[in-house]
Amino acid sequence: MTAPTTTDTEYDETQPAPHEGGRAPARRYGVLALAALLVVGLLLGYAGGLLTPRLTRPGDASVEAGFARDMTTHHAQAVEMSLIAYRSATLPEVRQIAVDIATGQQGEIGAMQTWLREWGLSPTGSKPPMSWMSDGATVKDGLMPGMATPQQMAALRDAKGIEVDRQFLTLMYAHHLGGIHMIDAALGETDNAEVVRVAETMKATQQSELNNLRQLQAQAKG
Amino acid sequence: MSISTPGGPERRPTLVSTGKKPAAGRPAPDAKAGSGKPTGSPRAGGKGPRKPVTPVKVSQGRAWGPIALFVAVGVLAAGIIGYGAWASFQGSKPWDKKANAIDGIVNIRKTDKTSLDYESHKSGPLTYKYSPPVGGVHNAAWQNCMGDVYDAPIASEHAVHSLEHGAVWITYRPDLPKDQVDKLAGKVRGVEKMLMSPYEGLDKPISLQAWGYQLKVDNADDKRIDEFIKDLRVNASVEGPTALCNQGVTATGTTPRELQQQPPTQ
Repeated sequence: MTAPTTTDTEYDETQPAPHEGGRAPARRYGVLALAALLVVGLLLGYAGGLLTPRLTRPGDASVEAGFARDMTTHHAQAVEMSLIAYRSATLPEVRQIAVDIATGQQGEIGAMQTWLREWGLSPTGSKPPMSWMSDGATVKDGLMPGMATPQQMAALRDAKGIEVDRQFLTLMYAHHLGGIHMIDAALGETDNAEVVRVAETMKATQQSELNNLRQLQAQAKG
Repeated sequence: MSISTPGGPERRPTLVSTGKKPAAGRPAPDAKAGSGKPTGSPRAGGKGPRKPVTPVKVSQGRAWGPIALFVAVGVLAAGIIGYGAWASFQGSKPWDKKANAIDGIVNIRKTDKTSLDYESHKSGPLTYKYSPPVGGVHNAAWQNCMGDVYDAPIASEHAVHSLEHGAVWITYRPDLPKDQVDKLAGKVRGVEKMLMSPYEGLDKPISLQAWGYQLKVDNADDKRIDEFIKDLRVNASVEGPTALCNQGVTATGTTPRELQQQPPTQ
């Protein structure tokens, strides 16, 4: 047993010498192949990382896109009402909450518009407002839930003194209620983490503002 | 990712060249000997029966070099990729996870959530459970938090409203040495969603507040101060990142102010 093995090994050991010249390139190719494989793997991973968010982002008819577009319009009116109140209201607390609502909602409009850009979508949709909501039949005269009519907005603009406070508080209260209704609808249908996060912040903010608006309503009456 | 890609090609050539060098050295003596086979001859030098033994040693030597290099390169590459992955994972960790990892931080959102609840804004002096307060009911007006450094105590009723808007409020014991106060002020001045004021009766020299978070430290050089600010400024906002820090109260004094009636700017 021992004898044959030694000869075998001896043979094997002598063999490498002539093959050595062939083995080095083979190893070299192996290294190159491995390197190429590594590069291809890295590129594939990179491509995958690039493509995955593109393929999974919300589409043009999605709930997320509808929410972002319609909530932008909804918020825009709140900003207008709030800036009127900030300029013309009598109670300092009303002006204080008004400027907070105006800048907060304008900021949220910025976030929602950024989503649409990132998703490669237009800020404008081809579908009627609220059609992303499963109970989307709540549009009246083109107005989403809680939005003030053109007549109400005109009255607010023309109001003087404490009347500005009163009208603003009434309109903004209804506006927030409608907004929360829309936010709830979006939260019920989306699983987009970013949309959920922002929508939940919006909802919490508007809910606590509802309490403050109601308190100010009592103050403005007296 | 981008780091590891240039690293690869750079390293691979060194591997290839180590293989080439002996191969390139060989042909010259071999060509003279007339046979391309005996690779070991240049090193062994001799002829005859020793030949089979020498190549063994050479091939063993050759095997370990590349292997060691391979392993080294592999470990290095894995290290680079691993570090990149770890760093990006750490960087993308949610702010609350990072905040909770700060040594000594008190997370009132977790330990005492109900103390942060409130129905609506309240005027007049309010009592707070924590000192300095970290949340809960507050005045309708917020303390201006546009990087404001107040040199006298301010009303907590206003400051808590600033916390709700995402501000980090740095408070310090009035007897804190001036150089330390200046150091703290340097972290505040000019930074939106930051405010700072002396605070009477602190149990530690310095205390940092965000909505639902508190960290008390002994020294302005404590590295955790920067961590607290980085992790919680803006992030701790209850109303999102765009809640307002201007148009607030800019006066000092611990009694909350009733907002002054101003003529409408119509």
